[in-house]
Amino acid sequence: MRTPAKVAIRKLPTGIPGLDEIVGGGLPEFSFNIIAGAPGSGKTTLAHQFVFANATPERPALYFTVLGESAIKMLRYQQQYTFFDPAKLPHAIRFINLSQVVLEQDLGAVLEEITKAVEKASPAVVVVDSFRTMVRKPQSEMDLQSFVQRLALFLASWQATTFLIGEYAEEELRDNPIFTVADGLFWLRQTAERNSIVRKLQIIKLRGQASVPGLHTFRITDAGVQAFSRTFGLMGHLKNPPSHRRLSFGIPELDAMLGGGVREGDSVLIAGSSGTGKSVLATQFIAEGIREGEPGIVAVFEERPQAYAERATSLGLDLETPQKDGKLEILYLRPLDLSVDETMHAILDAVQKIDAKRLVIDSLAGFEMALSPGFRADFRESLYRMIFALTGIGVTILSTVEVDESFVEFPFSTYSISFLTDDIIRLRYVSIDGQLRKIMVVIKMRGGNHAKDIREYEITSKGVVILGNRLTAYQGLISGLPVHWDRSYAEEGPSDQPGIRTKSKRP
Amino acid sequence: MAIPPEMLVLARHLLTYEAAEGEPAESIGARELRVYERLRSCVDAFAGAAAFHALASRALVLAMSRVPSLGAVRIAVDGSLQGPGELAPQIDTDRNEGNEDQADDGGVVLIAQLLGLLDVFLGESLAIRLLRDAWPSGTFDDSNAGNGRKA
Repeated sequence: MRTPAKVAIRKLPTGIPGLDEIVGGGLPEFSFNIIAGAPGSGKTTLAHQFVFANATPERPALYFTVLGESAIKMLRYQQQYTFFDPAKLPHAIRFINLSQVVLEQDLGAVLEEITKAVEKASPAVVVVDSFRTMVRKPQSEMDLQSFVQRLALFLASWQATTFLIGEYAEEELRDNPIFTVADGLFWLRQTAERNSIVRKLQIIKLRGQASVPGLHTFRITDAGVQAFSRTFGLMGHLKNPPSHRRLSFGIPELDAMLGGGVREGDSVLIAGSSGTGKSVLATQFIAEGIREGEPGIVAVFEERPQAYAERATSLGLDLETPQKDGKLEILYLRPLDLSVDETMHAILDAVQKIDAKRLVIDSLAGFEMALSPGFRADFRESLYRMIFALTGIGVTILSTVEVDESFVEFPFSTYSISFLTDDIIRLRYVSIDGQLRKIMVVIKMRGGNHAKDIREYEITSKGVVILGNRLTAYQGLISGLPVHWDRSYAEEGPSDQPGIRTKSKRP
Repeated sequence: MAIPPEMLVLARHLLTYEAAEGEPAESIGARELRVYERLRSCVDAFAGAAAFHALASRALVLAMSRVPSLGAVRIAVDGSLQGPGELAPQIDTDRNEGNEDQADDGGVVLIAQLLGLLDVFLGESLAIRLLRDAWPSGTFDDSNAGNGRKA
């Protein structure tokens, strides 16, 4: 016997970049939704985008304006957005003013006016802006609840997807009956943090489908509202099967230290103080990828792309040609007031645009500084989400981080982010024989074994060059102040306890 | 504020449409009143009576500077005209600085100012769409703004 099919709820495009992902694929058809937030938070613009994305002459949108922003001014301003298509007015999108009814009559008359217009037009979308002003007149709670329930029932029965727009404060969430009746509740927030404005969107409630929880950053530009999902638009993307492929740095000795190279899909951290060659290594990594046919992205924050490419040229690495060929993008991300999610979206867009396999973030400190102060608190958490999302689709990420040189400890990062990296390569200065030399060591490789060697290297006109074998003649190298160690004496000399070697300074 | 010439042209075209639909022996000023009422109905529907009242009041003040006799006209709260007899065509001998071939009557000037305000606030594209909705049989060309809107 055939199992009766469950009702299928069609999902309507929201018309807002990023929001479909957040609401779980689109807005449920015939749902009754509230857009709430303070004045200026983008409620009307969000509703307009939905209306313009869904209204047709056959199934129009009815946009009821009440007290509040005049429809004439609303249209004057809204038509500045690129999504505003005047051809849709007045047949696909119809503005109807209810101010007079609201002012002079009761909610019953308002419902009657809406009913008449809906029955006449059979709209696909209905918006009431602002609903809050409509119900501001004193009335009993039962009147309001009854009105909202009848309105919701009527509009759903007439197969309309509805938005009520209102200026609500968050403390009203508990007691206001309209929030109980609503199928979807979109809350827009706008707060000032130091000198920056932070806009965030939350889907507090959405019946019938799973939305992405949490606060999502959004921005209002000439194109209207753009939302940035906390999942970076990668939700539902198939994870690449675990790869055993190793990616080369183009430096055979380093590849050998890494057990054959970086495992594809890993997140690698190169930590070291200023001038230790973090960016040089990163450039070699991206250049080697391009040489092997793997497109790459470099996100730079501390120098401009041209300067970055010129520096690569001085190392004998050509980054100009692959940029022209669409195999490489160097992103310079120093915008004002950008949220961490927006910045990461710019990186993700570039990754997806050229199908990048390698990504360099140079550096995490620059990345953090490029963000507006209000977003820096979210930096680690957002970075974690981005790395998780990107490595999940097989992109190998190499980040550089500057650490303060210390002679009493051996830090890997000032961000406590080593937990989100698979592999860590540490570079540092050491004082040897009256010279400030450089050493590198692989601290960690989550995917397998790696060399424990401490190797000396130099930065030459060919990039990072690893010198000789591991440094066996010194102890305390990672302290930066090693002691020369006479191995032959130590191995042959007396020792009171097993395992303790005697040090001997060279005369 | 000077009336953009294309708004006067447009206002006259709207009156022509109304002439075609009206009675042959209708009273003086009836066409102007019908055009005004159509505009009122259109704007009232999407923006409300208060919005139309505000626009019409502004248009009236602007029009009075050219046709002082319009001072006898009032805009009611619902946006309707009181004293519409003043819309009737008349020669204003005091103001002929525009060297127009014909002196404009109060109705044309008021309607032109109203259209001008719609153009200022809504833009040409939306204003023309509004007129198309009000005069479905009319032809409005919004692709030739430089020469004014043609009927």
